[in-house]
Amino acid sequence: MFALLLNDINITFMEPCIAEPEKIRLKAEMSDDITDVMPYLNAVIGNAIFNKNAPLITFTKEFRLIVLYPKKLTMAKVVNQTDALQIFDWLKDLINETWDKRDTITPNYEKKHKPTVPQFYGWLPKTNCKECGEANCFAFAAKILQGQQRIENCKPLFTPEYADARETITEVLTAIM
Amino acid sequence: MPVYLDNAATSFPKPEVVYRAADEFMRAVGVNAGRGAYKQALEADRIIYETRRNVAKLFNVKDVSRVVFTFNITDSLNLAVKGILNPGDHVITSSMEHNAVWRPLKVLEEERGISITAVHCDVEGNLDPLKVKNALTEKTKLVVLIHASNVTGTVMPIAEVGAIARENNIPFLVDSAQTAGLYPIDVETMNIDLLAFTGHKGLMGPMGTGGLYIREGISIKPLKEGGTGGDSILEHQPDSLPDRYEAGTPNVSGIAGLGRAVKFILDEGVEKIHNKEAALTGYALHKLSGIDGITLYGPKDNINRVGVISLNIMDLNPQKAGHVLDEKYGIMVRAGLHCAPCAHRTIGTIDRGTIRIGLGYFNTQEDIDCLLEAVKDIIKNKDIQ
Repeated sequence: MFALLLNDINITFMEPCIAEPEKIRLKAEMSDDITDVMPYLNAVIGNAIFNKNAPLITFTKEFRLIVLYPKKLTMAKVVNQTDALQIFDWLKDLINETWDKRDTITPNYEKKHKPTVPQFYGWLPKTNCKECGEANCFAFAAKILQGQQRIENCKPLFTPEYADARETITEVLTAIM
Repeated sequence: MPVYLDNAATSFPKPEVVYRAADEFMRAVGVNAGRGAYKQALEADRIIYETRRNVAKLFNVKDVSRVVFTFNITDSLNLAVKGILNPGDHVITSSMEHNAVWRPLKVLEEERGISITAVHCDVEGNLDPLKVKNALTEKTKLVVLIHASNVTGTVMPIAEVGAIARENNIPFLVDSAQTAGLYPIDVETMNIDLLAFTGHKGLMGPMGTGGLYIREGISIKPLKEGGTGGDSILEHQPDSLPDRYEAGTPNVSGIAGLGRAVKFILDEGVEKIHNKEAALTGYALHKLSGIDGITLYGPKDNINRVGVISLNIMDLNPQKAGHVLDEKYGIMVRAGLHCAPCAHRTIGTIDRGTIRIGLGYFNTQEDIDCLLEAVKDIIKNKDIQ
């Protein structure tokens, strides 16, 4: 048995997702600081987006959106509490195994993965309201990723209905921009 | 010192950690799970999750959320049977079933017009898997089998029957009341789609606990609807597991005890527990078979059975014999039909019943020696004739 980097994850706050009330979003604290493992996680997680300055690392686990900070995490679109705790187990194993094998992994300090336009479009309200000045939400997504639009111009995103999506998008943009 | 030999009804005593876990939960946590976002409620959730994870590990279930808690195995079996079978469906079972399977099926026969094939087992309770295969029809929607008889201890060919069910794409439900915790169970290698378990027997947990493993892709209608915690906005029962089948406040103190009990089993190892029980069973069978006046039922050796031994003493009424064993010798056994009239018809004891010895992990050879001496004494003195 190797020495654990991360011993425990505990939920500190939980509420139903606003857009999908059958799912939950939550915040949790981690018992140990995982900053040092982040570049290695960035190397092993296929869809990770890493910002070494923040620092934070964000990725999806199937449909769930996960953001890891040094001593806390957020998760959205979690099925229920059992699902959350099962994902915690998976995450603890991933973090500890990655840390244990770090000598065999080349750490990656780059923002390795940038979301694709369709992926980013998927997080938007998709109302095609044109209030941002673009022809549709897809075009808006493309402009955002090119740095030619500001997320604040998406008016529906800043209504309470899209609070979950807003949080995810803000975190992703913090990581990649 | 009383001798407890009724572990097939419930295991007693429990490991010390089980008492402590239930007590600690009630005193130190004590709040309802899934009903609040404060830390103590989250701690209750975590305790439930850890129990679920331990149970999943014990049965080699990969997805922890597929383990659903109920209040006992009767609950679990009712949920599976009534949630799957529809009007006109056909179900295959055995002639060794407990009433926890048999009665729900008989109700569905009356209420939903299902048809039942109870595959006949031999006089020792053994089942030929081929008979299950031959009983399949186009309308067969479920195969349900007891893992080990609560009357004879006979272990059924679960993996073989499971393979037949799997080949024909029919869900296979196993009643593990007499095996969970005492006999290795692997839902993957044994082709089990639905595993009903109770917490208070071989799993050594408190009464009022049990559950059902439901393989992904198997659709079961919930037996009840109600509050599940965080998703209150929904008008209908959520689709996600385990919440779909866990309406209402769970028995968290019991589940806390069950979690530690299963941890105890995982630490000891099912193999070790099984070997100890098999050794005691072999010893008891060997010694009992050498006493004139004892009739033993079920398999003659300890190879394909668990530590449930049915017997009769001469032509004594087993209820009376059980009473004398308790009153005069301080030995606790079960007597009668053990909620399994089908099994008694199969082994030819329906008119009389049997005395049943249920061995547990904490029994010793000395306990069996006490029983042997008492039985010999009864035969010699004919006290109750």
